[in-house]
Order: sequence, then C-alpha cells, then structure tokens
Amino acid sequence: MYKDGMTYVHQKNSDGLTIMDKTLKREINLARNIQSQLLNGKTPVFDGGEVSGSSVPARLIGGDYYDFYPLVNGKIRIVIGDVMGKGIPAAMLMILTRGAFRSAAETTKSPADTLTSMNQALYADLRTLKSFVTLLCADWDPETSTLTYANAGHNLPLYIKGKEQVVQELPKIKGIMVGGLPNQVYNNHSIQLHDKDTVFFYTDGIIEAQNHNKEQYKLERLVQTLMENKQKCVGDIEKCVMESIEKFTEGAPQRDDITMVLLKISDQKAEITSLNSPLMK
Amino acid sequence: MIEFSMKEAEGGTIIVRLNGDLDIDSTEIVEETLLPALENYKAATLNFEEVPFVDSSGMGLLLNVVQSLKEKGVHVMISNVKEEVQFVFELLQIPEILGKDTFI
Repeated sequence: MYKDGMTYVHQKNSDGLTIMDKTLKREINLARNIQSQLLNGKTPVFDGGEVSGSSVPARLIGGDYYDFYPLVNGKIRIVIGDVMGKGIPAAMLMILTRGAFRSAAETTKSPADTLTSMNQALYADLRTLKSFVTLLCADWDPETSTLTYANAGHNLPLYIKGKEQVVQELPKIKGIMVGGLPNQVYNNHSIQLHDKDTVFFYTDGIIEAQNHNKEQYKLERLVQTLMENKQKCVGDIEKCVMESIEKFTEGAPQRDDITMVLLKISDQKAEITSLNSPLMK
Repeated sequence: MIEFSMKEAEGGTIIVRLNGDLDIDSTEIVEETLLPALENYKAATLNFEEVPFVDSSGMGLLLNVVQSLKEKGVHVMISNVKEEVQFVFELLQIPEILGKDTFI
C-alpha cells in the first residue's frame, strides 16, 4: 500500500489508541510545551515595583498572549492580548503576534506606536486568515511612576488603588483591534501611579469563566477578590484570583483562556537613574 | 450551539433569526450552511434578538459573514442586538469596522 505523510494505519494498539491518535497527542504536547515556554519566559526585575503574568489555556493549548519587554531607557513595555478563536489555530496566531510585538517593541517609542506597527505588520495576514487580535500595550516608567497605555479593542485593565478601597477601570481609550482595519493610528493615555498601587491587566476569559449553572464569574467577583488581596505581592494576588475563579467554576470546563498580568508599585520609591535598564530574571 | 431560521421579505431581502450563543461551536453551521444560503439574495438582515452571547470566535464569524457577503454584492444588516452583546461589539468597535449603517 502506498503511504505518504498524511496516511496513517488505523490500528489500535494495547491502550486503545490508534497510531494517529498517538502522533497527534505527542505533537499537541510538544506544541503546548513550546507555547508555555515562550509565554512563561523571563520576568523583568526592576527597582520600585514588580510585575508578574500567568496564563491558563481552556484547552490543551491557548490563544492568549502576554509579554514583557524591557526598554533601554529603563521603562518596561507590557502587552496582553487575546487571539480570536481557541486551540491550535489560535496558538499559531499567538506566536505570530509575539514575533510582531517583539520586533515592534524594539523600534517604537510608545505603546500606541507599537500597536500601529503591529497592525501594519499583521493586518494582511490576519485578514487572509479571517482572524484578529485584541491587544493592550503599556509602558511603565519607574522613574516618573507613569503608566502610558494604548488599546486595540481589549478590555481595560483594573486600577487598584493602594491607599483607598477603590478598584476601577483605567480611563477609557479606544482603538480598533489588530487585524480589524488597515492603517490604524492608536493613541496613548497616561496616568500617574502611587506607592502600593496595582494595575491588573486581563483577558475576558476571567470574567466570562462559567460554573456548571452557566453563571459567569463577572467583573464584580474579580473586583472583590482584588480588593480583598491588594496588600499582597503580585504572585500571591495572582494565586488568589486563580483560586477564586477555580472555587467559583468548580471544575467546569472553560470556554476561554484565562490570562492576567500584574504591575505593583513598591512602598518606597527607589532611586534610579534613567540608565538603569531592568534586568531579566 | 446556534440555530437559525430564514424568512423571505420583499425586495429580495432575507431575514435570518439567529438563536443561541455565537461561538466557536457555531463555525460549521455559519460557514457551511448559513453563508451559502444567503449568497443569492440582494440583502440579508441578521436578527440577533435571541443571541445572548458572542465570544471572539463568534465575532470573527460575524465579520467573515458580513465581509464575504459584501464581496458577493449582498447588503447585510444586523438588528436587535442585546445590550450585553452590543457592549462587546462596541469594545471591539465592530460598528466602525463594518460601517455604522450595518446596525439597525
């Protein structure tokens, strides 16, 4: 019998899996490892604050994306994104998005410029593939305690004030999702952060997480959890949010990936010079 | 899972009532059944009254339907969008992408 690379013999082996099942399983696992290693790369360490990110795919492999990019002027560029769709196709596009972000971050001056450049680079491919990516990009400047951000159709991050019992969305800023329309120009918006403030970037998989009764986790529960745990360090807040979602969903299968990125400003502003580039841990 | 029913109206317009969540599980129905069924009309109205949830895959499907039909000369309108769904449409600026006159 003639066989090419696409032909598999449907022969069940001892554990009931066909050769094709086994090959697929192995390849999905390899793909998952690649993605998880790219996602959970180095986290920048810098004076005056801390960042952390995590992502849990709804299936074996996901389409959410976050990344940190330390800039030579001492700022940290943060990005979070949600690729349309799920599973392997979304994961492939996520890798494409990562490449576009990394090269754009290197050469662009602001988050808005990064999004403009990413849309420029990805628009044609995304239209051909009938897909799109929502992205939120932000620069944290430890020297001036300013967060500058731009938005391409993503949900707004939450701003958890350190010294008040307030959790609110960052001021609204509009922008078309990447892959939506060609030649988009995005805008920046800046806010001043204070000691102990936290900014929580996330994807809609968190607030749309469902329990067995098809009820959603919703923004209210997320805000409550953040309010209760805001004094903790970023890693612990992350764990608390994850535990709260898991408690709510009671193991129900999720429809969407869950991703969050946290930025927390330290108690005391450290003295840093503009030449102090952040280190990667 | 999404279902749909179709009713012809005057002037070569077809009215499609969608029923259910528009998400990744709707892919085959939308691309293989709904889209070809609308290609031969002059205009199509997609009624979203019974669509409680649209995720990012559903949004992609919708963009694909409207843009593919436009290329074939079919004028597409979207009507009766629920408030929660409209919120997501606005966030993603779907009206800007498809043209504000697409929504009625």
